Amino acid sequence: MGRALHLGTEAGSSIRSHAERDYPRECCGLMVGRRQEGAWKVEYVRPARNLNTDRPNDRYLLDPADFVHADREARGRGLDIVGIYHSHPDHPARPSDTDLENAWAALAYLIVGVKDGRVHEWRAWEYDGEHFDERSVDGAPLE
Amino acid sequence: MSVTVRIPTPLRSLTGGADEVKLEATSVRALIDSLEDKHGGFKAQLLDGEGKLRRFVNVYLNDEDIRFREGLDTALGDNDVVAIIPAIAGGAGDASWPRMLQKLKREIAEVEPADVLQTRESEGTVIVDVRDTEEFNEGHIEGAIHLPRSFLEMRAENLLKDREASIVVHCAGGVRSLLAAESLRRLGYARVRSMAGGFGRWKNQGLPFVKPRVLSGEDRRRYARHLSIPEVGEAGQLKLLDARVLMIGAGGLGSPAAYYLAAAGVGTLGLVDFDVVDESNLQRQILHTTDRVGKPKTESARQTLLALNPGIEVKTFEERLSSENVERLFRDFDIIVDGSDNFPTRYLVNDACVLQKKPNVHGSVYRFEGQVTVFWAGQGPCYRCLYPEPPPPELAPSCAEAGVLGILPGVVGLLEAVETIKIILGMGIPLVGRLLTYDALRAEFRELKLRRDPQCRYCRDGVEFPGFIDYEQFCARPTDAVRTS
Repeated sequence: MGRALHLGTEAGSSIRSHAERDYPRECCGLMVGRRQEGAWKVEYVRPARNLNTDRPNDRYLLDPADFVHADREARGRGLDIVGIYHSHPDHPARPSDTDLENAWAALAYLIVGVKDGRVHEWRAWEYDGEHFDERSVDGAPLE
Repeated sequence: MSVTVRIPTPLRSLTGGADEVKLEATSVRALIDSLEDKHGGFKAQLLDGEGKLRRFVNVYLNDEDIRFREGLDTALGDNDVVAIIPAIAGGAGDASWPRMLQKLKREIAEVEPADVLQTRESEGTVIVDVRDTEEFNEGHIEGAIHLPRSFLEMRAENLLKDREASIVVHCAGGVRSLLAAESLRRLGYARVRSMAGGFGRWKNQGLPFVKPRVLSGEDRRRYARHLSIPEVGEAGQLKLLDARVLMIGAGGLGSPAAYYLAAAGVGTLGLVDFDVVDESNLQRQILHTTDRVGKPKTESARQTLLALNPGIEVKTFEERLSSENVERLFRDFDIIVDGSDNFPTRYLVNDACVLQKKPNVHGSVYRFEGQVTVFWAGQGPCYRCLYPEPPPPELAPSCAEAGVLGILPGVVGLLEAVETIKIILGMGIPLVGRLLTYDALRAEFRELKLRRDPQCRYCRDGVEFPGFIDYEQFCARPTDAVRTS
């Protein structure tokens, strides 16, 4: 059993509203918290800009400046960027080939499936250097 | 300089879990070297094969992306904070294209522009430019074969005969050429490489290229059927537009020849004829019309030719061709098309062509028979090699005397036009040293070999031009200098 993603209700609802607000474009953001034995514990999230203007509906490129700011803020609070979330508008919440091409190890990836403007699933993944393995999400029930 | 480096989560395995390290370095490049020395594995994560910062990584110096500073050469000061930021990207859409590109890059050898230039000289490498016509026209490598990507498979076999040849394909940036190189390989070309960085890199490195003249949109439409012949194409059409052809006579042979040469876009047509349009000409001299009877043939011909193709220039010379004016009249033309019907003119045309080393596209007709050949001193025989002396006048009647089937000069004149076009384009085998005869009644073409006369008074090797003579007297025939068949 791999690490679980503890999202918490507040972080969960932030991600949800971000994904629904940006639909049909993809949203992306950073999850800040602590990496612990057996879990990523998310304390809060920071929405980021999607810099991909060519295909914003099925691609994202997280603004590195947002990463820098979130990283500094997190360090100031003794926290860390533990993962990334992004939405898949009208696509299943599974990593695509594009996700695989750009994946980094050690981070939690939360993919949010949005259908017709409503978040209907989210699933967590971890990249091991070759593929993505699914991890459980808890602390923030979708319904 | 003591610098703090912030290590992102994905790379902390390299630092034993530490989220930042302190190092001494004066530039970002030196910092990466020092990270590598201390912790190992950073270079592979941060730099590509060429030692440049990888696309998937950003490096920030105190909140600023070093790509907007001096990149890896950005200088570092005391207490600076350098953050390594993983580029975070992805998305729902599948990325089949990047994977395909990676695969192509593995399979197709790439070659740097400078090396292309070198192997071209040492190995005779063929350069194939697969960009679109508009891009090609903006500038290209001289001598490159233009084979647009969209027609590659269809035209490759016509333009690239040797499947074992060393071929370098290029486009603008080095991507389309990978695709094209793969297609060529599938067509059986064994030694195909792609030029890295494409024409853009070639140009940026200051390597030589040419910017060709191009056809206007109007010409492109008018000559579309020429442009789609690979052997003619835009370069060929430009040659036609640049060509200057002088027609001796705007009569039976000159009419069809000039009409089609004008249509084909021969840019400058000269017409020498001093005659006026006669009713009896209209049975075959198709440049003229009934309402122009009595008008100069040159003017009538000019009107018809320009009505067909206003894009060409028609120069008219309403004068008798003579020993006095022949050098002046021939000087500004590349090819002479002889449509005269009398011997003094044929000898005069021949001698002037020998003198100026110009091809003399020669045609003649008699009732139901016609002949065509190309006299070209230096390349083959001249008219005098064939007929050192003129025949007696009674054996050589003109059309006026003997009559001619009206269509026959059409056939022969058009054969002359075809030979003219071939010479302009440098295409095919010209009728040099060969006489093509046409017998309309038998519907039969024959070919006779013509040989250079090594003793020819006018064109033998090393001979000094003997000068123009009194052609009337030579032919012993009291006739006008130019009368057209």
